[in-house]
Amino acid sequence: MLVSDCCYPCKQTNISTDLGLSFPQPVQEYPDPQPGSDLPSNQTIPIDNQKRDPKEKESEAANPNSPKPQKTKKMPVFKTPFNGYAVKFSPFYESRLAVATAQNFGILGNGRLHVLELSPAGPISEFASFDTADGVYDVTWSESHESLLIAAVADGSVKLYDLALPPASNPVRSLQEHSREVHSLDFNPVRRDSFLSSSWDDTIKLWTLDRPTSVRTFKEHAYCVYSSVWNPRHADVFASASGDCTIRVWDVREPGSTMILPAHEFEILACDWNKYDDCVLVSASVDKSIKVWDVRNFRIPVSVLNGHSYAVRKVKFSPHRRGAIASCSYDMTVCLWDYMVEDALIGRYDHHTEFAVGVDMSVLVEGLLASTGWDELVYVWQHGTDPRAP
Amino acid sequence: MATQSTPPPDSTTEKPKPQCEIAGLSLHAAAFCKTAESDFGFNSSLLDLGKGEGNIFSWGVRGVDINEEIEASEVVQPRNEDQQDAKAAATISPPSVFVNSEPMREEQVQNAVKFLSHPKVRGSPVIYRRSFLEKKGLTKEEIDEAFRRVPDQSPTVTGVQAVSANQDGQLKSSNIQQQAQAQTLHPSAATPAGVISKTGTQYRFHWSHAFLAIGFLAASGAGTAILFKNAFIPRLKSWIRKIVLEGENDIVQKSNSKPSLAEEATAAAKAAAAAAADVAKTSQEILTSKIEENRRLEEFMNLLNVQVQEMKSMSNAIRKLEGPNNSTGRLIQQEDTRGLMTTSKHLNVNGKAEFDSRSVRSSSPPASSEPSVAPHPKSYMEIMAMVQRGEKPPNIRDINDLPPNPNQPLSNPRLAPRTKPWEVGQVQYSAGHAYQSQVTGEGFNSRAQDNGVAYQLNGDSSTWWQQKNSRITEIETEDESRTASYTASNEQPIQRTWVPPQPPPIAMPEAAAAIRQPKSSIQRESLVNDQSVSRPSDEIDELQRITKISESGGVVEIKEESSGLNSSEMQQEQE
Repeated sequence: MLVSDCCYPCKQTNISTDLGLSFPQPVQEYPDPQPGSDLPSNQTIPIDNQKRDPKEKESEAANPNSPKPQKTKKMPVFKTPFNGYAVKFSPFYESRLAVATAQNFGILGNGRLHVLELSPAGPISEFASFDTADGVYDVTWSESHESLLIAAVADGSVKLYDLALPPASNPVRSLQEHSREVHSLDFNPVRRDSFLSSSWDDTIKLWTLDRPTSVRTFKEHAYCVYSSVWNPRHADVFASASGDCTIRVWDVREPGSTMILPAHEFEILACDWNKYDDCVLVSASVDKSIKVWDVRNFRIPVSVLNGHSYAVRKVKFSPHRRGAIASCSYDMTVCLWDYMVEDALIGRYDHHTEFAVGVDMSVLVEGLLASTGWDELVYVWQHGTDPRAP
Repeated sequence: MATQSTPPPDSTTEKPKPQCEIAGLSLHAAAFCKTAESDFGFNSSLLDLGKGEGNIFSWGVRGVDINEEIEASEVVQPRNEDQQDAKAAATISPPSVFVNSEPMREEQVQNAVKFLSHPKVRGSPVIYRRSFLEKKGLTKEEIDEAFRRVPDQSPTVTGVQAVSANQDGQLKSSNIQQQAQAQTLHPSAATPAGVISKTGTQYRFHWSHAFLAIGFLAASGAGTAILFKNAFIPRLKSWIRKIVLEGENDIVQKSNSKPSLAEEATAAAKAAAAAAADVAKTSQEILTSKIEENRRLEEFMNLLNVQVQEMKSMSNAIRKLEGPNNSTGRLIQQEDTRGLMTTSKHLNVNGKAEFDSRSVRSSSPPASSEPSVAPHPKSYMEIMAMVQRGEKPPNIRDINDLPPNPNQPLSNPRLAPRTKPWEVGQVQYSAGHAYQSQVTGEGFNSRAQDNGVAYQLNGDSSTWWQQKNSRITEIETEDESRTASYTASNEQPIQRTWVPPQPPPIAMPEAAAAIRQPKSSIQRESLVNDQSVSRPSDEIDELQRITKISESGGVVEIKEESSGLNSSEMQQEQE
């Protein structure tokens, strides 16, 4: 790929960014942070403790007015006007992430898609935002175009936005095929030309960026499909998690699903593949547990992670660490697990004051986490640090 | 592409089908009965189908005959551990790991057939039957097989043994129905094609079975004949006799009954009179009590009226006193009660979420399902209540979010896709890369330069989100002559096949000499330093030494000597 005399003549000089190094992106990409769009992202929440422990909430409540230590940096918090539903880091820019939000908790109301920019100085600023008629439940970035992002909207449409075009030209596409809410999207990281949408109408649709209609529809689940995720190494394989309590593994080349894992006794809200072991899946369910599965021996889970006190809403495998899993739950916490380690829970963050609904781990910056919840806040922090303090 | 159609039986399997069916048979009747209950967890009340004698009988018979076949095919029983071995061996060779390569488990199929044959299950939609079986852990093939085996009409269970299709012709005439088992094929509904394919394999052990069946039938026929003779006919006779006798008796009784009629009539009249008197008394009593009640009611009403009037006067007084505050109190009360009502409604709705039609979005959110429901925020409940009442929350705007130009061409990508951290050393999928050749060189150049500039600007104060990047030693593979090969294990930054750069050619020998003098002295220091700092490095590059020197407040020129500006800065930052 990086041979000097191939078709990409300028690869050599650009290797450092291609390797996913943690350079901040060139400043020319940043617009000047506008005071209007900058919602109170500079709010400082008085917190002293640097170390995370389960009793933090009590101690915070105890001394809300204690003097803060000297801080040169500001809080990496962003307040969205609507309730947060999903966050996704951009695969091209380390400092960029998208947030999907929906008014009135997503029950009934408008939606808004935010594109946020992390600045080196500290505060999170808004790069762009797009309003939708109905709530946005999920967002994904294109792996082929650095300026494209796709939104899953509660009215059943899938909308494409192009940041390189002026805001008035957006959305560039609105694909209306699902008969019910689209709950999740995932872009193929291997082929980089197609993406999946999962909907509450029990189907999963495969789309490509160049076609106005879906390429395929996968209809086998008996209830809402909450999530479908491409395998990070196999271009044609994906897994789906559904309210019918099963996880299905599909191969696009086959007419139907190739495996059915009855993973939980209750609805399965999320699933993800292990980036470093292409046969390992993780599933998160309403039954508060997270189970890790190996498709080669799918009758018994590799590991069961308990620790959340309510339904687990989202689960993600770390792009950097083989066994690390990030999860967020209705118990308002974001937890970090390592299923290959004896004591699996390696981090717990309870910075949200409402359901924690979206979590993501950056592919470009190791250890960088982002989360959002129904408390209308978006946090971005480095694993091991306090999300509410730098 | 809808996927509800079942694939043709021979298409997707890599294994010979008939053998697998045989192989899946359990040899232990007890185990069979146990698994039927444990695997499926059926309520005994729900499914009393053929648990017990019939099964054991059939299993015993079959077990004897199929032993050979099982050994011949060398397929292990479908226990989990064995499956692992089979699969472990199998996964290496077949093209996809993401396929269920288990052989079909006959037990599971039979359990499924039983389940599907149950009349209660027959009333439910097909999709829910499939879903149930999937949740029990059956594979697609097993489910399809079960569906194939269960006929459309429900077979009744009589405890007679399984018979193959060969016997169908003979048994049709005798009109006996069999138990719904794996090997049974309902005579009326079995498709001949499917049947024929199975008969070949089941030929052997069904002959004996057939003979036994015939013998049983003959015996039962004889038995019923005998029964008929011995029991029925005497009954008939006695019954006829009875009728005859009764007829005679009736005539006698009629004559006897006449004189007693008059007596009975008088007695009846007397009783009637007495009864009438009683009735009169009770009705009088009822009347009096009613009158009393009415009186009491009137008194109550009067009292109530008095109280109502008092309250009215009081409320009037209050209203006068607190004009505007009255309304909020009412609202709060209403909301609370409604909130309570709707929470219970909400919970109920979600409890049945799986099998009810989902009309309102409120029933679909997964939060409130059977395990302890997470407490929803109060405003969430309020909005739910509003929606269920049919009201629209006030803050919703009408937004037109349709694309202004649905054919708007997408902008060209300017950046190349980055390799993922887990894609190290892998062949990159080239499908999406074609467009990159069109990217202008300028774009990349400017970007690279900006990167360099930006990096230098931020080189000293690392951004807050880059803290604790001890693992990002990919920085070191900056060397442009190498491909992207930063290994996942980033422990030792030194252990790379990275060739230390050659010292730059000496442009000014005098300067070089001047520089070298302090350097040589410092080198000795650095050696000492190295030893004291127990660095487990075998190859201490010049560059490493140089950076350490620079770190310890050394000479600036040494920096310039280093091969790459970036690399030194990076190492600086890292250390």
